Amino acid sequence: MAQILDQPRYKCALAAMQTVHAIPRAIPILHAGPGCGTKLNDNTGISGYYSPNIFPSTNIGEKEVVFGGEGKLRTTIENALKIIDADLFVVLTGCTAEIIGDDAEEIVHEFADAGKRVIYVNTPGFKGSNYQGHDWVLTALFEQYLPRERVPVNAKQVNIFPGPPVQDPFWHGNLKELESLFREIGLEPNIIFGYGNGVSAVDRIPAGAFNILVSPWVGLDSVKVLEKKYGTPYLHYPVLPIGATETSKFLRAVGKFTKVDELHVERVIAEHEKEYYYFIERYSDTFLELRILSKRFVVISDAQYAIAATKFLVNDLGWNPGGTQFVTDNTPEEYRESVRSEFEKLNYGIKASMEFSTNGFEIQKKIRESGFTAPPMIFGSSWDKSFAKEIYAPFLNISYPTYDRLIINSGVVGYAGGLKFLEDIYTTAVQSLIL
Amino acid sequence: MAKNGKAIKQIAIYGKGGIGKSTTTSNLSAALADLGYKVMQFGCDPKADSTNTLRDGSYIPTVLELLRDRGSVNAHDAIFVGYNGIYCVEAGGPAPGVGCAGRGIITAVQLLKEQDIFEELDLDYVIYDVLGDVVCGGFAVPIREGIAQHVFTVSSSDFMAIYAANNLFKGIQKYSNSGGALLGGIIANSVSPESNYQRSIIDDFAARTSTQIMQYIPRSVTVTQSELSGKTTIEAAPDSAQAKVYRELARRIDEHVDSKTPTPLEPSQLRDWAAEWSDQILAIETGEVRTEAANI
Repeated sequence: MAQILDQPRYKCALAAMQTVHAIPRAIPILHAGPGCGTKLNDNTGISGYYSPNIFPSTNIGEKEVVFGGEGKLRTTIENALKIIDADLFVVLTGCTAEIIGDDAEEIVHEFADAGKRVIYVNTPGFKGSNYQGHDWVLTALFEQYLPRERVPVNAKQVNIFPGPPVQDPFWHGNLKELESLFREIGLEPNIIFGYGNGVSAVDRIPAGAFNILVSPWVGLDSVKVLEKKYGTPYLHYPVLPIGATETSKFLRAVGKFTKVDELHVERVIAEHEKEYYYFIERYSDTFLELRILSKRFVVISDAQYAIAATKFLVNDLGWNPGGTQFVTDNTPEEYRESVRSEFEKLNYGIKASMEFSTNGFEIQKKIRESGFTAPPMIFGSSWDKSFAKEIYAPFLNISYPTYDRLIINSGVVGYAGGLKFLEDIYTTAVQSLIL
Repeated sequence: MAKNGKAIKQIAIYGKGGIGKSTTTSNLSAALADLGYKVMQFGCDPKADSTNTLRDGSYIPTVLELLRDRGSVNAHDAIFVGYNGIYCVEAGGPAPGVGCAGRGIITAVQLLKEQDIFEELDLDYVIYDVLGDVVCGGFAVPIREGIAQHVFTVSSSDFMAIYAANNLFKGIQKYSNSGGALLGGIIANSVSPESNYQRSIIDDFAARTSTQIMQYIPRSVTVTQSELSGKTTIEAAPDSAQAKVYRELARRIDEHVDSKTPTPLEPSQLRDWAAEWSDQILAIETGEVRTEAANI
């Protein structure tokens, strides 16, 4: 059981409404108490067509708790279908509805012939986090929305499933870069989230010849559902590839899995690496001579970014993971060993020490007590900003909550993403110079 | 406290479903009313049939029905006068299989409490007739702080009824340190004082759990006849032997002052206890006489 005393770094399962909202033309319908949607709505980049402030919600109160909220859910769905122009409606149930045992499934089935698709997901906050909720939404989508029969397979189509959009502040940029890299090695990427994608991309999922999950543990259950439903093989790549080392490794793994021409993949990699190291060389004086960074670091983030940043900082930059790296997503017990093992698979036989913790106070206390001779750079969330200041540590926000940083469509994935991450790191560093 | 400063005695009656709680409670209310007390019977069961026999077998609108229709309820609209001036209230609840009946009980009890209705009516007794097992927090509301002071459980000598009573005792024990209601005793229903073993079983259970038997109520066709005519035994057959049993129960409850924290049995203790009784009943049924010689 997670112990969040303060500084929450993730949210409850109902926040998987963001996963639905990241699929253009899909709309969440909340079967929850008043305020749930608003309370979970504190990210940036979530307005636009039907923002969480106006998601349809049953707003159930005492009356529904005592007598059941199914009637209210029925009328809310009816009215949502009438007034909202969307292709898919996803009912997400909150704590109250689940405790009183409302049967969302039965109500949703009443809309089988409504002309617009309605599915449901049980996402009570007491059952899990928005990381798990993300997987539950995808599972519901694959089980309830997608047709039973597989359509003709497109041998080049690869469905890419990333970690939870919105919770990942770089999701727009990362997905665009993944799409672009897949195209370059000759595949046809299919991503359901973000600009230019959406429900039509969901419809294309059955035609995919492969599924690729780029995430340490989030989303594993749902790709397994697709494997069972359509027999689509999946590659679980647990590292979000940032920078040349990991991206080249990733492309080779994808190429091998999808049986793309190996020489072609190598040509793509070689071209990208040539460009990447050209820039690294041009700016190497900055990396080598700027002696205001201790080149030690601590990442405080979910498994995805803790692993990804650690790999990049050690493998590409040669930084020292001297202290402990903290994974804050309350990784379920069954995935902890595999997450831990990633911190031990670093270049030059380096092993980083890591810990799972959701307790911000404890994390910061441990960093203070780690005995760094010079402050490490902190890669964390807004919660870590003032702490970093207290210990004179340079700080870069890469993780929810990102209240003090605006990220629109930039990403950190790939070769370009690695350089962008470097820009951010060294911009932070040079900003401490007094000129 | 009622308006003239007298204390209102608030009692909760619990027990396994179908054990005769509502029958016992209604007769208790009727007998207390006959003693000259102002009594309210508060049915805490979604079936809303606790007070039927106090009102010629008729159902009354429940607090929650009124709340559902109007959004807010004046407590007076949910109170109906029955036999000998007894105020009848039914909490009501959702249809089976939907909503949360426990929350319904909380809502209904709070609604009456907030409107100070007990004081306004200058009641002597409020008797809560609560549904079966204490399955969730809602059904424990009457035994929490500030509601009832005394709990009585209706139980037969059947094992499942005793199991439910033991569970209730656990609930009472839990709230006993925070000012909740304490246990007054067991009302032994369908137990004939003359029975071979029924009385011994229930007496033994009371002794093991540090409580007492308030009354033994035998099975009686008079009760059935009265209920079929929509009345309590007190009203339909006031001079019957069964009415006398209920009047005696009312007198004892009226005189009852000190309730105690029970000592419920642990599951393994309860199982062992039941197994012991099973052996003894078998011995009685087969005519085996257990003496010291039998152990030689």
